[in-house]
Amino acid sequence: MKTSRLGAWIAIAIGAIYFILPLIATIEFSLRMRRGVYSFDAYASVFSEPQFRETFGYSMLMALLTIVFGMLLVVPTAYWVRLRLPQIRPVVEFITLLPLVIPAIVIVFGYLRMYNSSSIVPLTGTTTGTNILLMFSYITLSLPYMYRAVDTAMRAIDVRTLTEAAESLGASWTTIMFKCIFPNVMSGVLSGAFITLAIVMGEFTMAALLNRPAFGPYLQLVGANRAYEPSALAVIAFSITWLSMGLLQLVSRFHRAAPAKS
Amino acid sequence: MAFLELANLKKSFGQTQVVHDFNMKIEKGEFISFLGPSGCGKTTVLRMIAGFETPSAGSIQIGGKEQGNLKPNKRNIGMVFQAYALFPNMSVHDNVAFGLKIAGAQPAEIDSRVKEMLSLIKLDHLSDRYPYQLSGGQQQRVALARALAVKPQVLLLDEPLSALDAKIRVSLREEIRAIQQKLGITTVFVTHDQEEALSISDRIVVMNGGRADQIGTPFEIYNTPATRFVASFVGTLNIIEAKVVDPAVNRIQIGDQGVTLKQSIAAFKAGDTVSLALRPEAGSLSDTLPSDTALTGEVVSAHFLGSVIRTRMNVGGNVISFDMFNSPGVKPPATGETVTLRFMAADLLVIRD
Repeated sequence: MKTSRLGAWIAIAIGAIYFILPLIATIEFSLRMRRGVYSFDAYASVFSEPQFRETFGYSMLMALLTIVFGMLLVVPTAYWVRLRLPQIRPVVEFITLLPLVIPAIVIVFGYLRMYNSSSIVPLTGTTTGTNILLMFSYITLSLPYMYRAVDTAMRAIDVRTLTEAAESLGASWTTIMFKCIFPNVMSGVLSGAFITLAIVMGEFTMAALLNRPAFGPYLQLVGANRAYEPSALAVIAFSITWLSMGLLQLVSRFHRAAPAKS
Repeated sequence: MAFLELANLKKSFGQTQVVHDFNMKIEKGEFISFLGPSGCGKTTVLRMIAGFETPSAGSIQIGGKEQGNLKPNKRNIGMVFQAYALFPNMSVHDNVAFGLKIAGAQPAEIDSRVKEMLSLIKLDHLSDRYPYQLSGGQQQRVALARALAVKPQVLLLDEPLSALDAKIRVSLREEIRAIQQKLGITTVFVTHDQEEALSISDRIVVMNGGRADQIGTPFEIYNTPATRFVASFVGTLNIIEAKVVDPAVNRIQIGDQGVTLKQSIAAFKAGDTVSLALRPEAGSLSDTLPSDTALTGEVVSAHFLGSVIRTRMNVGGNVISFDMFNSPGVKPPATGETVTLRFMAADLLVIRD
């Protein structure tokens, strides 16, 4: 019993070292820009770079739009499947899982073929059109996480009975959706939103191939040309992801703290 | 003209017909219970009244107005569900105010109506609480207040007490009945609990296999069950198989003992088998109580249940149960003892299948 516990601790320690050591090394390296002393010069350099602010701002805006339009697509779909079409739930689940098994580069080439400037829907013909296409690409990428997060939140409430109760009180479909369903799946919506934020902030393939000034391609560009700044950017990117995951935990804990009594 | 009229209502799911030609007229202010086992179609009829299911055929009229083409949110029907269905994101006050806000009522009017409803269910001190901070009984009372706040023309209760524990179930059913009588609201209550239905209804519809087997007052349903199903589902009942001896004089034979019924059996022929029902409380071993009929048999078992002793006796292959009040001076009959059960012939009912 004691030997197996010791073995478990050793395995955890090796795993922790494997993950944490490179991270510590990255943080340490990002602080060594000034010769002989630790400083935040690399971070100052990154933050003073106009391209950083532009790409970071662009990706944040894209993440926000992805979350809003993604949720407007996912919440009513998950709701409708649960309420009226439970038999097609496996099909919808399969479709939402496809972005996990189809590489992003295949998806983006498909988009470029479908929506290029000489197609029926020439989205890549204009900057706005390309931005819209990139946003929909991000929605596709985050679909597996968004759908699952929302569907799990819907499983926790009795969607059918809540809908019927609201209907019997005279509510229309829009009232039911925005006053009775959305607020009660908010934990799922927020979980999906934070995962989407993390995905969009680090995504490279789609933004690079659609030639948009996103944070992912900027990370790659700096990494190829500078010494200390890439480490600082990696730490910043990690911090954003961790912040998102921390908020996700906070939201789900807050939701768990208030269970309905039977 | 009846206030709520269900005419030739039918409902099929695919090839399965779950409601067959359901007809009923309900007067304004009446409290009707749909009673039956799971899958008998009682909830389906209720959901058709609410508009959540579309009838395959037939009509539903409320106040003379056909409801068939109206969506659930246009019917002005209050509904209380077994699972409470309170909106978890809203306080008690906001839950009760929900329907009023949708109806476009003024804030002052909403506040006063919510207060009135919460005081009706005696929960005015909990208006700021959220559903998860309430017990099951409190949640269901809030659900009732929410359904009543919009002054619905009909109140539908879909097994509202099933998820509650026994003690709260009894107190809440009495509260529901008192509120219903106070407001005079036409109410349809679905339950599989016969005690609930018998205790609070003006009339009961006993449903079986998608059909109304019998519609009547609790007294009629209990004392004169129309079918074998009603007899067996409502209360405890002895079903006795007897042979018709002379239909002209209502003479039958149970085992080798002859009995003359009060009810006519003219529809039967001599030699036919007839099913008879006898409530356990209708018989007694005492010869001091009024009786005009007797059956002799052998005691199979006697169970002491506290206030009563339930004895089972064999009469010509029929096992008949009867209840006697416990009395410290009277010994329960012993197994194997021969006893005579006395009762009024009028209590022996002929039932159809």
